[in-house]
Amino acid sequence: MPILQIRQAIRDAMKEEMERDERVFLMGEEVGYYNGAYKCSEGLLDHFGPKRVIDTPITETGFAGIGIGAAMCGLRPIIEFMTFNFSAVAFDQILNNAAKLRHMTHGQFAVPMVFRGPNAAAHMLGSTHSQAFEHFYAHIPGLKVIAVATPYDAKGLLKTAIRDENPVLFLESELMYSVKGEVPEEEYLIPFGQADIKRPGEQVTVITWGQGVPVALKAAELAAAEDLSCEVIDLRSLRPMDEAAIIASVKKTNRAVVVYHGWPNGGVGCDVVARIQELAFDDLDAPVLRVCYEDLPMPYAENLENLILPSPERALAAIRRVAYKR
Amino acid sequence: MATVVTLPRLSDTMEEGVIAKWRIKVGDKVKRGQVIADIETDKATMEFESFDAGTVLKLVAPEGEALPVGAPIAVFGQPGENPDAAGAPAPKAEAEPAKAEDKPKAEAKPAPEAESKPAQPEALAEIEVAQTAAAESAVPDQAPAPKATSQGTGPEGQADRGRIPASPVARRLAREHDLELGQIQGSGPRGRIVKADVEQAIAKGPTARPAAAAATGPAEHVPATSPPAGTPAGEVDEHGRPYISRPDRTVKLSQMRKTIAKRMGQAKREIPHIYLTMPIVMDRAVALRAEFNLSVDGTKASLNDLVILAAARALRKHPRVNAYYTDNGIVERGDIHVGVAVALDEGLIVPPVRFADQKTLKQISIDVRDLGTRAKEKTLKPEEMTGSTFTVSNLGMFGIEEFCAIVNPGEAAILAVGAVQDEAVVEDGQIVARKRMRVTLCSDHRVFDGAESAKYLQTLRKLLESPLALLT
Repeated sequence: MPILQIRQAIRDAMKEEMERDERVFLMGEEVGYYNGAYKCSEGLLDHFGPKRVIDTPITETGFAGIGIGAAMCGLRPIIEFMTFNFSAVAFDQILNNAAKLRHMTHGQFAVPMVFRGPNAAAHMLGSTHSQAFEHFYAHIPGLKVIAVATPYDAKGLLKTAIRDENPVLFLESELMYSVKGEVPEEEYLIPFGQADIKRPGEQVTVITWGQGVPVALKAAELAAAEDLSCEVIDLRSLRPMDEAAIIASVKKTNRAVVVYHGWPNGGVGCDVVARIQELAFDDLDAPVLRVCYEDLPMPYAENLENLILPSPERALAAIRRVAYKR
Repeated sequence: MATVVTLPRLSDTMEEGVIAKWRIKVGDKVKRGQVIADIETDKATMEFESFDAGTVLKLVAPEGEALPVGAPIAVFGQPGENPDAAGAPAPKAEAEPAKAEDKPKAEAKPAPEAESKPAQPEALAEIEVAQTAAAESAVPDQAPAPKATSQGTGPEGQADRGRIPASPVARRLAREHDLELGQIQGSGPRGRIVKADVEQAIAKGPTARPAAAAATGPAEHVPATSPPAGTPAGEVDEHGRPYISRPDRTVKLSQMRKTIAKRMGQAKREIPHIYLTMPIVMDRAVALRAEFNLSVDGTKASLNDLVILAAARALRKHPRVNAYYTDNGIVERGDIHVGVAVALDEGLIVPPVRFADQKTLKQISIDVRDLGTRAKEKTLKPEEMTGSTFTVSNLGMFGIEEFCAIVNPGEAAILAVGAVQDEAVVEDGQIVARKRMRVTLCSDHRVFDGAESAKYLQTLRKLLESPLALLT
């Protein structure tokens, strides 16, 4: 099986879908002549030409809106944000047009499109460029939200996102574009709403997604060295969410820790905890803990940034606490 | 959340009770197990040890008034909490709830510090006033105000919430295994009972429920194992070394022990016992048993089985021995059910071999084995443990030659069976070795006299010394 980077898996997914369906096109800053800020669209301009791979000015509200209009008229746009931090500029388009038009027109218009790009903190990008946006978008009915952590998941889920009849927010990671993994040559799709057990275990359920996945896996490894067996669940799909997978695991382990990028107040982490206490209350042996950002704007200084980001060590400390170890 | 304390059932027959004396007052902080009141029941005045903890918000029941079991008598909760929110009836005049209940709840305990808005000085002062007003201190051993951090240091460590801290799965497991959380030691933070603690308790077996504990005698119970450690006594031996003194201990009465105590006491008080001992030569019975076991498959009869069969057959000839006394007349029982005393760790029970006179030796042997096994496994049904009309108690296996037993109330006699021993016996002027056994018929002199007892023993001796008749 070929080994690909996540960026290559994303490019292959877009390429295959653009070949399969001529209504699919890519639009965003630097996606064409520069081959993508993170090289996710490498070679696509040469292959499909400038009508289907469109470079835009720095106008997120504009090209997000054009994408929504195109989708309403029957095309299937992929809008790339250079980072999801810039989607804040287009927030009204996403919140009030992409998410609502189907509802407000009683189904006369659909908005089948994908917004994709890197999400959450990378490395020393300062407070305005280090934010996790799944917490905003997963809040909104009418949207679907996906976060990927492996090349296999990236390709299978992006293809599903492009074919979906609704607006999908597809969250990648700047730090993880070069993560490598096996990707089958034959075509496959991964349905939304299915979590993936990235590491099976018995004593503590660690729920995570996106950039949290490598942190959780490393923490599980550290825990295993202390004879604590963790089950790492990668949600992949945040909206819809695979409640059943979470609950099945918690019923087995009686303990859960949620590891993710984002602030503690509100958001997907709180959502996961709420579902656990609601659906598995009588199976809990310890409070469910969260390991995420500190409740602060991200500092630029590297030493301070490291104090705020979720780390394997902090995740391990939470795992120990819910297992009543030390 | 406020907890309503209700009048407990302190004895099986208790239907109502009277608070003889309250030992607590409004505002007191009560621990689990603390004596909170003296309660008069139909039997006695008992100390009521609280099942709940918390601050006394209200005393609902006045002293001296009869109340039904389950009636609310007090409300516990957190200082400042509204006791009426717990659903207890309106307070009697003397029960005054704490003043601070008018204050909004948020003021009574520090809000989680997340916004870090500094409180105004006046507001702070107000909080302090509110806390002082709310009976002593509003938040006694409150941890530092929890800070909402991403580590999840949530507000899990609040002050005493008036309930036993236990994780939900621990609660569920305890519920499923009928264990009292109060009897389990918590190993989690602040004594929280976690799953592992309950699993340990399950492994250890059932614990006494506090209601039962409250209803039994002396307060101090110690486990029956491991004698208490000794201390040097004041007295010394001839070498000047101190003797070791060990404290007394009270072992809790089991239900079985209580029943034995009651019935044996009753028997010795009411029944005038008479004891007659008969020696029986058992050589032929021993030989018969050996041959029987060799030739009859599927069973292994004991000598005691043979004695039970003989005793039952003899009863058919002497119906007065299979009887019991009433003031209206002596009841001679129509059926013969021979009780077999089975010693258990915690006492003894006497399950009957029913219709023993009509059973074969093989069937009696099967029955006795089955009853004994299941008695030790505690799987006998109640109706299988009662109903004997006569009892056989055998201590021969311990080397006891002969002994006197106590008649079971409801019967007229019990046969106490000693060991079969080789003895030198004079027969026809010759000393010969014989296997002899002594049986003692212990009987109720109100039902029959010594002569009848002797005749019964003669019949029994004849049956055992010429035992072939037992196989007919």
